[in-house]
Amino acid sequence: MHGRKAYELVKEFANGDKGHLKIFNNELFEQVIEECNEHHNALQSLIRKMQEEGLEVQTARNADHYGAFIHHLSLIRNKRCLMAYVHNRAEIIRELAWKVGLLHELPGEIQEKFSDLEEQYFKDHSKSLKSYMSQLSLDVNVDMVPPKDPYIKVRVLEDLGSGIILSDKSANFARHSMHFLKRTDAEQYIARGLMEELTG
Amino acid sequence: MASGAGEWSAEQIDNYETLISTTDVELLKRAWRNEKASPEILPFEEALVKRAKEQIQLMEETVDDFAESGHDPLIASLYQMDLDRAQFLLRSYLRVRLQKIEKFMFHIWKMDTYRNRLSIEEEKFTERCIRDIGKHLEETVLSKLPDNYQSVLKQSIISEEDDMVPEPQLDTFVVAKCERATRPLYLDGSRQSASFDSRQFAILTCL
Amino acid sequence: MAGQSDPHISLFSAEELEFMAEDELIEIVPNMRMDPLNFICVIFKSGDFGPFFPQIASQVPLWLAVALKKRGKCAIRPPQWMSVENLTRVLEGERESQGAFQVLPFHYVEISRLLFDHAREDIPDMYMVRSLIEDIRDVRIHKVETSLEKFSGTSAVKIPNLSAMEVNIIRPFVGRALQAFYKHDNPEKIPDVDRASSAQTRAANNEPRVSATEEITDRFHF
Repeated sequence: MHGRKAYELVKEFANGDKGHLKIFNNELFEQVIEECNEHHNALQSLIRKMQEEGLEVQTARNADHYGAFIHHLSLIRNKRCLMAYVHNRAEIIRELAWKVGLLHELPGEIQEKFSDLEEQYFKDHSKSLKSYMSQLSLDVNVDMVPPKDPYIKVRVLEDLGSGIILSDKSANFARHSMHFLKRTDAEQYIARGLMEELTG
Repeated sequence: MASGAGEWSAEQIDNYETLISTTDVELLKRAWRNEKASPEILPFEEALVKRAKEQIQLMEETVDDFAESGHDPLIASLYQMDLDRAQFLLRSYLRVRLQKIEKFMFHIWKMDTYRNRLSIEEEKFTERCIRDIGKHLEETVLSKLPDNYQSVLKQSIISEEDDMVPEPQLDTFVVAKCERATRPLYLDGSRQSASFDSRQFAILTCL
Repeated sequence: MAGQSDPHISLFSAEELEFMAEDELIEIVPNMRMDPLNFICVIFKSGDFGPFFPQIASQVPLWLAVALKKRGKCAIRPPQWMSVENLTRVLEGERESQGAFQVLPFHYVEISRLLFDHAREDIPDMYMVRSLIEDIRDVRIHKVETSLEKFSGTSAVKIPNLSAMEVNIIRPFVGRALQAFYKHDNPEKIPDVDRASSAQTRAANNEPRVSATEEITDRFHF
């Protein structure tokens, strides 16, 4: 059936988790491309046939004309589906460029979902973003959410003494003592269960 | 755009006063909100962004001074928070615009109205985006299609206009808050007019 | 290939609404002396926030109030509208009139939540206040929902006194609903996003109309 494979391709993308890529479906993709070329061959042979019959291709309205027209429309439909597939994936790739592309390499499990060309596109787009930011001397891929108080109240859960070094203060972090620390300083101790954040 | 000079109500004068005394952070917040809410890209607030960047830089120096001197961590932390807030607004404003550009690059690029709304840096970015995605689509799809079907912008050579370009849907509705009372507006070419009072929320067609 | 933004996502996140609410002014009573703060965000042309003196009330943005409160440097005076008396009256008003909304600060939900989280001991009858605000919020949301049922095809709908949170909730839905009404009323006007016809359709409908973008940047904001 005309356009069925292209439909499957788009459907596969649409059914995926939002914002997540599946492996680039190269097999189906190439089948659709192949179908496009078959449509084109069929279309051309119909036009040749009309020419051989001495018909004016632009104006004649016989079965062959409509046949050719349907091949043309099917081809266009396939093209739109192929483009939609690549375009929508490219949108997710750009999101990834915002999130990770500017800082470090993509994790392997994401990278293996890309086609080779998508990997290149990811690199290119990350570079374009970087170039914008360097022209402006401003990183726009940080501060993605509104800022919170950089300081938090913590209680020390295990005796840490005064041996630990923080960016802006030193104190005796005795067990059960309470302190007002930079969130970034405190996080590692909270993660290790040595401090807890106090709220309210 | 006043409803006729000389007959301003007290409320209008009040509003005017707040308007001229509005700080850059307030203006930036408004620009950010409007940019987020509008389907199309709005004119770049060049002067405002320049001022905001200068103020942020000054504040960064102040915060650094405090950090070096080491005294009064309380005030240092408050200045830091003020700085963080301004930074977020500026970055978020620029980010919303870049994301719009990423989405509608071809459309923005071919329409002078929109292209003229970009900053120099945004213009360069748009150009690069188009080059990158153009190359990507070309290599992945278009080069494998028959000759007459290889355009990025057109479905085939028969298409008279660009019929493959994603564009923002302008013929849509927005929710907006009315700042000052308006004169009657003829919305959407209808015969009926509607006027809006301040503080009123309205849902309007956008074009 | 038509790019559509996702209408299910609200325009502003909860964090962004809170961020905006944090710029609202509120009164604090400091317990220390502090020189004026020369902020980027100064609201008054006349000067900065402060100087602060013990026991002398002063107006500051909510984020600063909360920061000082967390550091044990001040008490926050809850705003007038947050009194049990006023909230009881507002709740009654909301219940009595089906159509209209009572006047409350644009960010009443966010402001009260920030104060409940960070300044509970400064709010007299905190539990009562909190439950009143929750009730008001529920009644209003219900009213928003029923008033949406009454929408009909039109090019502009007006609702006074909505709050930030309420607008944020209805925005994605209302936009699409009106779009649907509009589409049924004017089938020729909606561009078919799958086709190229949009530009032509617009040009053909060459009636005098307000460009909202123009008017909005002047008189409206989102």
